[in-house]
Amino acid sequence: MITPDILYLSATELAKRIQSKALSPVDLTKAYLDRSEKLGPKLNAYAHLTPDLALEQATAAEKEIGRGHYRGPLHGIPYAAKDLLATKGIPTTWGAKPYENQVFDYDATVIENLHRAGAVLIGKAAMIELAGGMNYRFASASLQGAAKNPWNASCWTCGSSSGSGAIVAAGLAAFAIGTETWGSIICPSAYCGVSGLRPTFGRVSRYGAMALSYSMDKIGPMARSAEDCAHVFAVIAGHDIKDQSTLPLDKAAFTYSPSAELSAKPLRVGWLANAWKQVDSHAEKAIQAAERAVRRMFPGTRNTSLPEGPFEAAGGVIIGVEGAAAFRQLIRSGKVAQLADPLGQINGYVNEQIDAADYVRALQVRGILQQKMEALFDGFDVLAAASQPLGANALDANLETDLVFPDPLGGIGNLCGLPALSLPCGFTDQNLPVGLQFVGRAGNDLAVIRAARAFQQRTDWHRKHPKLA
Amino acid sequence: MKPKSESLSRREFATHAALAAVAAVTPLSPVATDGLSASVYPQLPPDAPKLPAQSQAEAEARHQAILLQYPDRFSDAQKADLKRLCFVLQPQLDSLRLWPVANSDAPALYLKPLVEREKKTNAAPNLKSAPQSARPEAVTKPSGSEKH
Repeated sequence: MITPDILYLSATELAKRIQSKALSPVDLTKAYLDRSEKLGPKLNAYAHLTPDLALEQATAAEKEIGRGHYRGPLHGIPYAAKDLLATKGIPTTWGAKPYENQVFDYDATVIENLHRAGAVLIGKAAMIELAGGMNYRFASASLQGAAKNPWNASCWTCGSSSGSGAIVAAGLAAFAIGTETWGSIICPSAYCGVSGLRPTFGRVSRYGAMALSYSMDKIGPMARSAEDCAHVFAVIAGHDIKDQSTLPLDKAAFTYSPSAELSAKPLRVGWLANAWKQVDSHAEKAIQAAERAVRRMFPGTRNTSLPEGPFEAAGGVIIGVEGAAAFRQLIRSGKVAQLADPLGQINGYVNEQIDAADYVRALQVRGILQQKMEALFDGFDVLAAASQPLGANALDANLETDLVFPDPLGGIGNLCGLPALSLPCGFTDQNLPVGLQFVGRAGNDLAVIRAARAFQQRTDWHRKHPKLA
Repeated sequence: MKPKSESLSRREFATHAALAAVAAVTPLSPVATDGLSASVYPQLPPDAPKLPAQSQAEAEARHQAILLQYPDRFSDAQKADLKRLCFVLQPQLDSLRLWPVANSDAPALYLKPLVEREKKTNAAPNLKSAPQSARPEAVTKPSGSEKH
């Protein structure tokens, strides 16, 4: 009998039991599928479940492990993939009505890599339509409807990796794959109280992934711990000849060994004083406590500031223009009107009107910003700040008017392709999770993993999970 | 998966070029010269940002270009919302244009993160072109919870 406590174990802990044959991948997969069938629809967490494929993969894993061929820490571990990753023969809807019947005849590189590592795909995670590429006003901007937060079903999970956040938080799979162009891994991880890694741009192949912003889209894991994220990242990172934006082999690949951290130099941490102009009063205490914890864990932590400039504007222009180009046919044909969100139905037309010269200027500003961030990271290994200045918002909130605040760290981090990891660090006074993020220099994903691991070795926020009926 | 690229026929290109030209010379007031009714150019919603005259003219022109390109596509409410969105976009563009960049500031066209090896070869000539103190503060777009 597999209890919910088992289903909430980290992938790392599940792997130990699977390797020692104390836990059957088939039984584990059946238990996650059963829970997903029961709870998934209540949370609008999935686009599709893939029980046949999952049981086939789990059975193969069990046989292999039984024969003594253990592939590694993801072998026999069930996961969900955001529904913008191509999966052969299975619908890939991009969360959007115009693509509801879309089926690819190949797997995305990330899916292939996870398959090669022996992971078990149990379903496609719901998402905001087109990953928010046409923008959106409401949480309901999804073919599957608004994703409900497992901690409080009247609250949102955040997007666009909305289903991925719900699935991990609700214990419906051991981990999930999300994507981020701006905030789509960090925010759902924070709102749902899970650990999520946004890798350095170019370390994970995007072949077979829906393109929204060619120069800003990234793929990363959402899981129960930073260590889990590291294990998944080690499998999905690497150069891919099918994706010209991936970094060279020696810069893209990632290997992870927790024991290597023992001999590593202490991390130099900078606490970002200007990441958020204002913090919501419900989240204030948790964020202050997290800051104190960071300063205790990393002696020598110093206050620092992000450079100031029109970096959010640059990010907005780049995403707007690249999104309008990626979905040009959808916009010009008028089929964009089939999107669920009233803002998504029309915003692409505005982005089509942005001048090429303004787009190039945004890219120039990005080049300048990269240099500034390089200089900032000469003094620090990681920067730390709250992942969001608040807990999850109400499901029916108008995101355009009710939740308006600048996000310079999200803008800068994504504009420069910097790695970041969000991890749970407490709760609001309404019992909603609050997230802490570590951001690293481009290519130094290991530093953000190390910082998050250190935090999680001394706290147990990541082990807390919602009570679900 | 990347959507199929869309080719542009000569005729389409000519049409678009003509539309762009029309947009460039279309009067910025709602008094239409092309026979379009005044309702095609809705009033600015009250929640739209207040802009300097030149920026307002640009936002208006952008809105009119959309309506000229897609004359039968939008409801009146959508037309008004499009106008608001054109106005909301404008401060971002203005802030970008205010930021001093030099001719030598190369665009980070296809993002290449500055990983360790490249760092050594990347001097910082960009910084010389406009020292930090000379760069104006961002006019930040309130991006909030609209995550992509």
